[in-house]
Amino acid sequence: MTRESIAARVRALLASVLEKPATEVEQLPDSTPLFGSGLSLDSLTGLELLTAVQGEFGVDIASEDLNLDSLRTIGTLAGYLAGHSDSSHTSL
Amino acid sequence: MRTDYLSHPPIKCVVWDLDNTLWRGVAVEEEAGTAPEPDPRILDIIAELEKRGIVSSVASRNDPALGKSLLSISTLAGKFVAPQVSWEPKSQAVRRVAEQLNIGIDSLAFVDDSAFERAEVAYMLPAVLVLSPEELPAALDSVAFKPALVTDEASRRADMYRAEEERRAAEESFAGSRTDFLRSCRMRLTIVAAGEDDLDRITELAERTHQLNSTGRSYTRKELRSRIADKQRRLVLVARLTDRFGDYGTIGAALVDKEPPGPADIWLAELVMLSCRVEGRGIPAALLRAVMLEAQAAACRALRAHYRVNERNLPIRLLFRQMGFEVIGKDTEGTILAARDLLSAPLPPYPEWLEVVRPREACE
Repeated sequence: MTRESIAARVRALLASVLEKPATEVEQLPDSTPLFGSGLSLDSLTGLELLTAVQGEFGVDIASEDLNLDSLRTIGTLAGYLAGHSDSSHTSL
Repeated sequence: MRTDYLSHPPIKCVVWDLDNTLWRGVAVEEEAGTAPEPDPRILDIIAELEKRGIVSSVASRNDPALGKSLLSISTLAGKFVAPQVSWEPKSQAVRRVAEQLNIGIDSLAFVDDSAFERAEVAYMLPAVLVLSPEELPAALDSVAFKPALVTDEASRRADMYRAEEERRAAEESFAGSRTDFLRSCRMRLTIVAAGEDDLDRITELAERTHQLNSTGRSYTRKELRSRIADKQRRLVLVARLTDRFGDYGTIGAALVDKEPPGPADIWLAELVMLSCRVEGRGIPAALLRAVMLEAQAAACRALRAHYRVNERNLPIRLLFRQMGFEVIGKDTEGTILAARDLLSAPLPPYPEWLEVVRPREACE
């Protein structure tokens, strides 16, 4: 999976857990914060996102990323997944 | 004699089988128009459990329509939260009860006369305390069924779960957006400095909360009492929630040290904890924001917080991420120290659907 296709999947998962129209989330830049004013994830929707990410990419962010730094923006999450998911290895 | 339940975690809900457990016989085999007579001893147990803050639910393999009419007979009406009557395996029904009440699977007990059903649940959900009706009386005397203290919130817990069910049903049938729904709930969160009266409930929250509990540390009553009393050094906030469905009582608390080791203008939130029933409504963030506002008002440049990473408290870690905390250290026991700058980055506002009440005494 390329970095771009991972970012697209991340946007789709976000739209799904936040119950927002996919077209709205697709237009947001990589720098959009996941929490706070950006997409306003909270502890509950954040949990849903991490569960979906684990299911799709096989990456357990909760145990691998202590500070949850990967959850700052759409871009940091896509970047983290590009560097850690199994699919990134097989595509090399 | 079984002893495994002696070390079981505290039970919050007992899930009952119906046929040959709650009553003798099989309801569907009764003559049309007659309902089986519930066993009065079981009804007494359910009433006693409710007094201890332990609610009851149902997992029965029956026609859902029959289940509905059975559970509405006068001796049973209103006694069960999130009852499951369907043809699905009991383990699925039990799991659904835990999901709907938003409690851990290990806080459930399951009572069934059928050895097959008990084995199925025990195999699929090993964390559930599985009991036969004969084993129940002895188990009721064990620690798992005996909370150390029963607060006002605990004895009203069944009512609160019912208000929560009503809220959930209203949410499912609500046509507008989730934000519109939350606004329609008319939630009011009152955040005040804790008094001696709050001691029992704070002790109970420290024991019972897991998902939204930052450290999982247990405190003695003495430790908590001295924290509440020492207004100079400590800030203890409690949060109470009401909405149009009911009064949920005190659902969260924060323990803050105003003079931790280190710079004088930094406070430390040593424990933040909330009932998991309030997740998904912006309430955890509101409580943490209130702590941050208090620190700001006292001219603090940062708020620090302790938390631990365990398999259950990911929601509280997400809360700290949501509120802009950064990990700055870790002690030898694995407790993480995180900090939030209060000077540069603005605090996220309270959610617009939440009315937050801060009586003046909370600021003193």
